[in-house]
Amino acid sequence: MKIMPCPLNGPRNIQEFICRGEVRIPPAADASAEAWAEYLFYRENKAGIVREWWCHLPTTFWFIAERDTRTDEIIRTYTFDALDESGSGR
Amino acid sequence: MSGAEGARAANGNPRRSFFQRQLEELGARFSILEDGPLATDFGTATAEREQARQLGLCDLSSLPRIGFKGANTAAWLAGRGVALPAQPHRLARIEDGLLACRLSPGEALLLSQPWGASRLIKDVERAWSIESAGLCFPVPRRDSHAWLALVGARVPAMLTKICGIDFRPHKFADLTLAQTQVARTSAIVARADVEGTGCWHLLFDSASAAYMWQVLIDAMSEFDGRPVGCAALAPPGSAL
Amino acid sequence: MSARERLPLPFGIAIDRSRPLGYSFDGRSGSGYAGDTLASALAGDGVWLLSRSFKYHRPRGLFSLAGHDANTMVQVEDEPNVLADRLVLREGLTATPLNGTGTLTRDRARILERLHRFMPVGFYYHAFFRPAGTWPRWEKLIRAMGGLGTVNTGQKHGYYDKAYAFCDVCVIGAGPAGLSAALEAAAAGAEVIIIDDQALPGGALSFAREEVDGDADALRRSLLSQIEAQPSITLWSGAICQGWFTDHWLPVTRGDRLYKVRAAAVVIATGTIGQQVVFRNNDLPGIMLGSAAQRLMRLYGVRPGTRAVILAADEAGYGVALDLIDAGVEVAALLDLRTEVPASPLAAAVRERGVPVRPRMAVAEAVEGRNHLSAVRIAPVVGEGTLGTAGETIACDLLCLSAGGVPNAALVCHAGGSVRHDAVSGRFVVASTPPDLFVAGSVAGTESFAAAMAGGRRAGWQAARAAGFSNPHEPQVEPAMVAPAGPMPWPIFPHPKGKDFVDYDEDLTVSHVRDAVAAGFDSVELLKRYSTAGMGPSQGRITNPVLYRLLAQATGQSVEAVGSVTVRPPIGQEKIGHLAGRGFDPVRLSPIHHRHQELGATMMVAGTWLRPAVYGEGGQEASIRDEVRAVRNGVGLIDVSTLGKIEVRGPDAAAFLERIYTFAFAAQPVGRVRYALMTDEVGNVMDDGVAARLHAHHFYVTATTGGADGVYRFMQWCNAQWRLAVDIANVTAAYAAVNIAGPRARAVLARLEGDLDLAPEAFPYMAVREGMLAGMPVRALRVGFVGELGYELHVPSSCGEAIWDRLLAAGQSEGIRPFGVEAQRILRLEKGHVIIGQDTDGLSTPGEAGLGWALSKKKPFFVGKAALELRQRRAMNRVLVGFVQTSTGPQPLENHLIFAGSEVAGRVTSVAFSPSLERVIGLAYVPPALAETGTALTIKGTGGRLIAAEVSKTPFYDPENRRQEM
Repeated sequence: MKIMPCPLNGPRNIQEFICRGEVRIPPAADASAEAWAEYLFYRENKAGIVREWWCHLPTTFWFIAERDTRTDEIIRTYTFDALDESGSGR
Repeated sequence: MSGAEGARAANGNPRRSFFQRQLEELGARFSILEDGPLATDFGTATAEREQARQLGLCDLSSLPRIGFKGANTAAWLAGRGVALPAQPHRLARIEDGLLACRLSPGEALLLSQPWGASRLIKDVERAWSIESAGLCFPVPRRDSHAWLALVGARVPAMLTKICGIDFRPHKFADLTLAQTQVARTSAIVARADVEGTGCWHLLFDSASAAYMWQVLIDAMSEFDGRPVGCAALAPPGSAL
Repeated sequence: MSARERLPLPFGIAIDRSRPLGYSFDGRSGSGYAGDTLASALAGDGVWLLSRSFKYHRPRGLFSLAGHDANTMVQVEDEPNVLADRLVLREGLTATPLNGTGTLTRDRARILERLHRFMPVGFYYHAFFRPAGTWPRWEKLIRAMGGLGTVNTGQKHGYYDKAYAFCDVCVIGAGPAGLSAALEAAAAGAEVIIIDDQALPGGALSFAREEVDGDADALRRSLLSQIEAQPSITLWSGAICQGWFTDHWLPVTRGDRLYKVRAAAVVIATGTIGQQVVFRNNDLPGIMLGSAAQRLMRLYGVRPGTRAVILAADEAGYGVALDLIDAGVEVAALLDLRTEVPASPLAAAVRERGVPVRPRMAVAEAVEGRNHLSAVRIAPVVGEGTLGTAGETIACDLLCLSAGGVPNAALVCHAGGSVRHDAVSGRFVVASTPPDLFVAGSVAGTESFAAAMAGGRRAGWQAARAAGFSNPHEPQVEPAMVAPAGPMPWPIFPHPKGKDFVDYDEDLTVSHVRDAVAAGFDSVELLKRYSTAGMGPSQGRITNPVLYRLLAQATGQSVEAVGSVTVRPPIGQEKIGHLAGRGFDPVRLSPIHHRHQELGATMMVAGTWLRPAVYGEGGQEASIRDEVRAVRNGVGLIDVSTLGKIEVRGPDAAAFLERIYTFAFAAQPVGRVRYALMTDEVGNVMDDGVAARLHAHHFYVTATTGGADGVYRFMQWCNAQWRLAVDIANVTAAYAAVNIAGPRARAVLARLEGDLDLAPEAFPYMAVREGMLAGMPVRALRVGFVGELGYELHVPSSCGEAIWDRLLAAGQSEGIRPFGVEAQRILRLEKGHVIIGQDTDGLSTPGEAGLGWALSKKKPFFVGKAALELRQRRAMNRVLVGFVQTSTGPQPLENHLIFAGSEVAGRVTSVAFSPSLERVIGLAYVPPALAETGTALTIKGTGGRLIAAEVSKTPFYDPENRRQEM
């Protein structure tokens, strides 16, 4: 079983986690129908490094994992705050 | 109405342990505390003390405990005389045996010592108000979480049957904790040795109490583990 | 069976001659010793015929004696398909052969062999399917003829369980390489677990002979005593590592337990699998690997035959010859497939002992006599896989094959490494290994004990380093030690008359494989599936190297170019019990659970919880109606502890609720309760509950029983992004909750001492109060799910039984009655209230479900708002309406369809007989065109019977909602 390095709890068996899919930033409330449809119904499904939401179930701790979908390698994990501060992805 | 229920009625305390029926069936003797009936022994105190060195299962659900959550938690508690450990997943022993557990940067869990109620916990609880504490909020751990102490040298081996974390003493130090899954139920496992014997406190969803009890009895059987009263964990001569 | 004398020491190191054990096989009794396997005990008793083959019912005996082949499979009482060469003998063991027809020695079905030309490769796919409908009859017959063991479906589940195990370095294989690796890793400070599949650890040290006068067993004992003295090494014998999974997660079966071993690094020292040699009748009992003959002698003291021929292509074959001679077996000839006999001490010693050594010579055909080998016909090797004219016949009852080994590298392959065929050496070699996994010993191609130990030490050092333990003394392996051995000859000699077996399990011969390739199945994965080669119980361990070579030959490719089939777990036999044993199914119980049991409640599953469906011993339908009437006319009490309960606290508490729920909460006064509806980002109904405002900065929110955990996670996820100044805590299990409902509810509550002012003006409908009740702290919410005057009382869960007891006692004179989930469902249906998940589905919008009133129009944002506004631009295509049944006869059921003419128009979501209205009522989705009150509906009921109904206004009962507001 895979190990997920949780930013709060350290390395744990991946069965302690669930994945909520790609990190995506919702459009503004008054954005166009097209922008909302794009956000709600389309996924990039990229072969490469993706940013995903993961949750450690025993603590309900949400964080972001960067994972290479080609190798299933988890490259790094961090909280949403860290994503914001690094300025990447926003 | 069993004898124990009669005792509670006389005492007027409406609270029960989450393991009340299991304990009564085993002939537990209870001490009635403010937070409910605490099984002190099963009439075999000396044998239970011996048992606790090997593998004992001890219900502490009726001892005071409380959680606090929010960004201001550590600061507010420090002001009430409870200094949390600097790092998450650590415990600190505070006055009157109180165990201060830091679950995360913004979450704490305060546990009484395993053989008697901590007065400080009640004091802290009473001192809290939504107006004064800022982003620090109490969590009712007395009722959300059942509390069992697993005590004795064989606990880490027994736990390998139900949990994916390595709890052996040299891998999981005294005064550390993990939030994980035990038998597919979310749980806090906090190690705080008593009298030189390894002791792992298991706190989990109180609605899963009957399920977890049965899981533990089954997992303990190959190691000759048995329920013990909390007197088996107390230092010799301490008053319960 | 007659017990024969075992060989004296130093033969028989695994057995305890002072502890004889009795057993029975095929109805006859025999005896062996503690330390025997069933297969070795049978061999000791002169029993070589163990099974009949799958298709032709040919006689089969032991081949590898290491659990690599499936010839030794037997039935042990209720347990099918047990490998007799892994089955440790115990007193009274009773085993029977598999797949026999009649007796094992005179199998009537062997006649099938003469029909072999009517059973070409893939014949199942062709023969039994015409005319249509024929297959089921054939299937029964084929299963009876070709099946394996018998499963006793009535057998009780034994105690199988699982456990985690932890180490820094896990070493698979306890031979010279594995033991050395473990010692070296431990010396660096690592904790080590060694896993070995044999009962006696030591690998080849326990049976092989590489020197004329060596004492491998002394070396074995020395290594094991070092292992024993090292406390950080744990050695598991008789354990099988069934696979390698991501991040060094190793499932290991040992007895009735499945261990889940987590290591930081792994050493694979699993040795080799003896290579099959193909010739006519190569499957006869008496033909075995040289290592199997050595195991018989060295481990068990059993003489494998009286007159032997050895077919060798490597040095080990000469060691086998010496062992046989020492054990008193006459060695009639040693045939060496190679061109030249090596000038080694072993070869010299064999010659010295008068054994005729014949280079470039092979077995063309084995001759059968009474279910056993009786002679071999030999022939010179003239080319790759081709023989000259068969010459002399040598009488023998034992043929030892020693034609090299194939790396036992399945675990390496699981982990992402690879094995390839090296054209120069003619051997299969481990070509690559993944990070933090190291190979050592003969799996890595070493041939001597010294080289295996040197390689093991190095692998152990590397693994310890990968696990974070460094030792400055890096062991080196001298290049000369691992110099590649000479080329390995081609081991396949097809015979014009066939019976040259490639796969024992499936009775496949060379021509079967060639025919399958000719039929177009010329890629290795297709060839395997069509021919079924390697798909039997031994999983291609012995077959695959032969298969790849034949495919290469038939297609004119190199063996390397042919590739290999994907190797998957499990490695060995893994019982269903190992996989299914002692799982964990958490069940959550209300704090009041035992009271429900005492009251004779029928419990039902609700998510992870158990809830009382209905109370009482009597007829359920009648009990449910009585419970409904008690609530409508008097007072009832229901346990709603399973409701999700969430604290939302902080300066932004109201702002958070405004965003997460559809309704408005900013202006909600403290002390009031509001309905709370949650939609997902697409605008679909997700969950509902109520939000009670206890303080300007504090809301206490409920969620549905099944939705609570998901709602809490969703809230945390949202606020991880919004970062409002609010704390969210899931306190579901912290509170027991009961709902006391009915016109007499207030009167009952008033009897309990407490500080709640129950007067309707002081504590109106949709208000919340905190206080003390019967000595318990309580949060009381006036809500009306069942449509009567009612109080939902939340107390600490440790007080759950007490509040229940006190209310039932206080309500005795009012005739208070506990009611269950079934009655509650009817009561709420009478009020037209929807249940999320029953009356909504994954695509329901609030508007469709009649909850449009719960959407705030003024808020700039809530989750799902933008999507809902876009969806509202389109016409709704369905709407939830109430209906009453107008026809007599059977009532419709949930999910029955509503028809408009011949078209499906909708679906019933809830339906029940209403005791209050004395008619059948329900909720259903219908197109807006059919939603007008009074519209006739046609429901297709059970058995296609049409049921008439009519759209009705909701609530069906007390439409003005006066009763709940009393």
